[in-house]
Amino acid sequence: MPKLSVRNLTKRFPVSDGPSMLALDGVDLDVEEGEFIAFVGPSGCGKTTLLRIIQGLETATSGDILIDGKPARGPGHDRGFVFQQYGLLPWLTAAQNIGFALEAKGVPARQHGDITERVLATVGLKGFGDRFPHQLSGGMQQRVGIARALAIEPDMMLLDEPFGALDALSREILQNEMLGLTERMGKTVLFVTHSVDEAVCLADRVVVMSPRPGRIRDIVPIDIPRPRARLGEALRDTPEYSAKRQLLWNQLMELV
Amino acid sequence: MQRSAQPGTASKNAVDPLAEPDPRRQKRRERILQIGTLVLLLAAWEFAAHDANKLLVAMPSDIALATWDLLVSGELLWATLDSMSTFVLGFVIASVLGIVIGFAMGTNRTVEVILDPYINALYAMPLVALIPILMLWVGIGFLAKITIIILFAVFPVIINTVTGVKNVDKHYLDIGKAFMASRAMVYRKIIAPYAMPYVASGLRIALGRGIIAMIVAEFLTSISGLGGLIINYTNAFETAKAFAPVLVVAVLANALTLLVQKVEARFGRWRRR
Repeated sequence: MPKLSVRNLTKRFPVSDGPSMLALDGVDLDVEEGEFIAFVGPSGCGKTTLLRIIQGLETATSGDILIDGKPARGPGHDRGFVFQQYGLLPWLTAAQNIGFALEAKGVPARQHGDITERVLATVGLKGFGDRFPHQLSGGMQQRVGIARALAIEPDMMLLDEPFGALDALSREILQNEMLGLTERMGKTVLFVTHSVDEAVCLADRVVVMSPRPGRIRDIVPIDIPRPRARLGEALRDTPEYSAKRQLLWNQLMELV
Repeated sequence: MQRSAQPGTASKNAVDPLAEPDPRRQKRRERILQIGTLVLLLAAWEFAAHDANKLLVAMPSDIALATWDLLVSGELLWATLDSMSTFVLGFVIASVLGIVIGFAMGTNRTVEVILDPYINALYAMPLVALIPILMLWVGIGFLAKITIIILFAVFPVIINTVTGVKNVDKHYLDIGKAFMASRAMVYRKIIAPYAMPYVASGLRIALGRGIIAMIVAEFLTSISGLGGLIINYTNAFETAKAFAPVLVVAVLANALTLLVQKVEARFGRWRRR
């Protein structure tokens, strides 16, 4: 049984004075346990909407989300979400932001300290717990976002263009760490990105979506052997990498 | 120390026309200007009032003496305590009431639709017009003063709280939703901190209006406290003594505003400067 099944999912957004907009049209997808799926596509293809519906932040107009075969209605602690921007509460410190997720899950307060310290260390932010978001760089803020999602020990991680707002260097560093993290933990990951490069580096399969209406256009398997993290830059020199990058690039160019 | 390590030593003493002015000297210059102007104004007042009718105009030196007398006799202190105890109680009640009503209106559309027209109408109207009628209902004592202060102070708190609560960034609410925060947690950790700066500026407006209300109430109702002193000494044509409580009110209003700003800054530590 797949970890996650998306069944004939449709999402319509009402438009004032006009026909409603079809953001997602009959989307079907199965994701296996431990798989890393990246979603790419031009803006308006509904990739973020799809991720938000899976997380339960939005409701589908029709269709089903099945997790371990059971229909998922609304959010759950089995899914950890990482937001693109504004993902942290600016009036809480890094540790308190992580504590927020723990408290929401009902983890007893006396365990918060240990868990927070552990996940901050995992993302390389040991000792930064008492910093406010504005005292951290964009890359560090996003690490806190990832740490918070890890803290609730979800089966699945959902990331919505998590590195989209970062500079090129931070972005590449975080991509590599993300690779190491997911390969160590073996969690199921859904990753929305607008970067073909990022998708090929990280994913087992890349879902290409087309806009207006949002549909799955193709699913491209990436057969670069794992663990990829230790390859570092050499990852981008593999023939599979350049072949798949070229293939995806061509597909996206047709869609724009 | 090596000579080559200090290439700037010689030029340091020379005046650089492009250099930024020393901020501390600049600050001192501005202070001197302000104090100088004050001294000049007081001197002009003293000079102008010297030959005027003493029943109508008081000289600054008379006011200073009168203030000293009233301080020594304890009259000023008691009036201040009288006014302040009423004011603080009224202001605290208005703040709590305003925040609670504001939260209710900001999070519940039905409550907002029902209350909004009255809140806006009462905020915009000159509430002084209601005071005589209020006196019929609650008399002219302590209760009247408190009621008038609350009436003047509560509306800016309500209106600002509603604005803050309703403006909460959807991104922040999404965080609560994604991690399944309870309603209480969303209120406490997302909506309340977000609305805090709005509430604080409502409190600052309420403070000013509350002090006006206190003085007006003391003029019109019980003739007590600092307002009572002003009325009584003005009626007795002791103009210099009437100025003393005015001075106290001015100092108090400024001190309280400063206090609210300090509290605001304490809660706003997380914000960028």
